[in-house]
Amino acid sequence: MSTSRRFYTTIRILKSGAVNLFRNAWLTVAATAVMVVALSIILLAVVLNVTANNAISELARDLKASIYLTNSATDEDIVTLRDDVQSLDFVEAVDYVSQDQAQKDLAGDFENDSEILQALALAGEDALPASLRITVSDLERMPEIKEFVEQDQYSDSVESVSLGQTDAQTTIDRAAAAQRFINIGSILAASVLSVVSIMIIFNTIRMAIYTRRDEISIMKLIGATPDYIRGPFLVEASLYGVIAGFIACGIAYSLVFSMGKKVADQPEFSQTYTFFTQPNIIIVMALSAILVGILIGAVSSMMAMERHLRLKNW
Amino acid sequence: MILFDRVTKKYKKKGAVLERINLHVEPKEFVVLVGESGAGKSTLLKLLTREEKPTGGKIIVGGIDYERLKDKDIPFLRRKIGVVFQDFKLLSNRTVFENVAFALEIVGMSNKEIRHTVPKVLNIVGLKSKADSYPSELSGGERQRVAIARAIVRQPKILIADEPTGNLDPKHAWDVIKVLEKINRYGTTVLLTTHNRDIVNKLKRRVVTIKDGKLSSDRARSEYKL
Repeated sequence: MSTSRRFYTTIRILKSGAVNLFRNAWLTVAATAVMVVALSIILLAVVLNVTANNAISELARDLKASIYLTNSATDEDIVTLRDDVQSLDFVEAVDYVSQDQAQKDLAGDFENDSEILQALALAGEDALPASLRITVSDLERMPEIKEFVEQDQYSDSVESVSLGQTDAQTTIDRAAAAQRFINIGSILAASVLSVVSIMIIFNTIRMAIYTRRDEISIMKLIGATPDYIRGPFLVEASLYGVIAGFIACGIAYSLVFSMGKKVADQPEFSQTYTFFTQPNIIIVMALSAILVGILIGAVSSMMAMERHLRLKNW
Repeated sequence: MILFDRVTKKYKKKGAVLERINLHVEPKEFVVLVGESGAGKSTLLKLLTREEKPTGGKIIVGGIDYERLKDKDIPFLRRKIGVVFQDFKLLSNRTVFENVAFALEIVGMSNKEIRHTVPKVLNIVGLKSKADSYPSELSGGERQRVAIARAIVRQPKILIADEPTGNLDPKHAWDVIKVLEKINRYGTTVLLTTHNRDIVNKLKRRVVTIKDGKLSSDRARSEYKL
């Protein structure tokens, strides 16, 4: 077939597919609607997953281990201990906090609580020990710090070890549990809805094949190729995916913008909001939704054609 | 142009529908295939369009040996053979012009070429003035002429007409036959199946008779004899 004939054939297949879409208006609405819900869930699952991940990282950054030092620890002991802890592969940073600094920090934290400030003043300079404040890259391994500094060689320098603030750890655990729930729930919901979507499109295309059975038999008899007969059905089903992808992206982003604006100034969410509202990310999300939609449409229409078009036996 | 060499077609339930058919049709010939209902005429035509495969024997059409024909080549074979059916097989939601254009659309012809070609063919079948009509607005004879226009618009070397006058009154039937004769005069090989004794007798063409799946007679310029 010459290039120009191939061009006209392609145009006719696309046109015929688009015409079928409008011819079966109600079926189109049904097929597209279910796919919109499935794709919206998939997109929102991605957004929530990234949000949860970023929020957990942000919270984890505040969670630090502290090694409280004895008053008898010399500068040399402290430097040795700091260097040894720093050498652990999951340790990101080790900061020395002097007794004076610790007192100032605490006073700063409770600047409006006169009773605590008075108590601090009464206790004097030695009330709070000097410490090494440790930032880790992997929260799971934080307990290893305790095991490490409990070795005999550090017994003269180390008073005690504190593994982060318990309320922050609880928040992280809750966020991680929510993330797991979102992941499992969204995978289940998206899978069920994708299957429902495939079934509806399968039936829509089956109906379209039935409606056009006379035309198909004439096409076969006057020499249409199988691709020419299949093409419009594939285009029709893929167009459901394109439309559903656009709508799903619109729904997901209207939620991202409306909900995101409310929490964008909180450090746990600001990075995520900025990430998802970048134009190139919006384009990638839209294209991904459209591609998944096309895939669902194409798979279901091919299943329907395989079963009902019977193009193998001419 | 058409060669059937000891062609047999058997079905599991019905048994043999055609048995050792030998038939040779020359280019530009007009052959009338007669026989009672169920004699095997339509099966023979289905073998020609490759809607059916023979159980035995050899079929060669326009130099194409059907034994060597692959499934993917069947659409291209059918583009070389025009077919007209008793029930017209027109698309009711398309106009006369669009029904004829349909045969050109599927081969990828441009709209400009289609606009140029279709009116010429409608002129041959005498329906130029009905281009914008829908099949439901036409008489049976006119519908059959639309089907003929669709079958010849790609200028096939062979035109198969399976009982094209079966649903028509004598006047319209004869109009259709006259169109087929005209197409044959332009150089197309015509294979016509019919029950109509008057048509066969008036045509005075080669008559091939099939009886109980066997070729019972093959006479030049003959009449209807069963």
